[in-house]
Amino acid sequence: MEGCSEPRLDAKSELVDFQWKLGMAVSSDSCRSLKYPYVAVLLKVADHSGQVKNKCFEMTIPQFQILFIYSWKTQRETET
Amino acid sequence: MAAELEGSKALGGLLSGLAQEAFHGHQGITEELLRSQLYPEVSLEEFRPFLAKMRGILKSIASADMDFNQLEAFLTAQTKKQGGITSDQAAVISKFWKNHKTKIRESLMNQSRWDSGLRGLSWRVDGKSQSRHSAQIHTPVAIMELEIGKSGQESEFLCLEFDEVKVSQLLKKLSEVEESISTLMQPA
Repeated sequence: MEGCSEPRLDAKSELVDFQWKLGMAVSSDSCRSLKYPYVAVLLKVADHSGQVKNKCFEMTIPQFQILFIYSWKTQRETET
Repeated sequence: MAAELEGSKALGGLLSGLAQEAFHGHQGITEELLRSQLYPEVSLEEFRPFLAKMRGILKSIASADMDFNQLEAFLTAQTKKQGGITSDQAAVISKFWKNHKTKIRESLMNQSRWDSGLRGLSWRVDGKSQSRHSAQIHTPVAIMELEIGKSGQESEFLCLEFDEVKVSQLLKKLSEVEESISTLMQPA
């Protein structure tokens, strides 16, 4: 997974709520033995007008670890 | 059966072509293309059932995500079957699976994900310095950019602002997830 390139010009939003679910994909019609865990996330984000939208996505465990490490490093860098 | 079909030289190429079409979403790999490229001496009528057999074997192996013991047992059984495979062919298939298992598995995982997946992530920390005596509280200090998207569709970008408090809140949630993952990964 690569980092994003240039900063987006879109208006920034605020994270209002973060809900998570740890799931396990067991089986599917194309693969009877999937057996992989994943983290599903529901973000509630508010734009500048105050409108709240839901955004959902899934991450593999290694992707989640990257999010965790980056966030932890950011907390270290922003501590006063 | 044509002698060429009993050989194993072109089989590696055939398995690659089958994997591209069945797992990695490559369009345009027709049976005629495979035949003409890999088994030009064989007629289409003879090639078709052969191709179907190899496709079936590869799909069975991938679907069961066979480990190497299971693979060996499965391929041995295929060599003993009427109209099965030769032991040379079994060796080629075994080698192919060992080399491509991870990539094929990744493609199967992506195929089964129907929600958006995470494609990119970065954090940017603002250069604003904060004085302890500053009247400004809740100054945004960090920006998280997320790139998400569904399979085969364009990405959507989310740009989220955080102040120090919100970064901590997020981290608390992420720690909960991490704890849950650790519990899951513990041996039963």
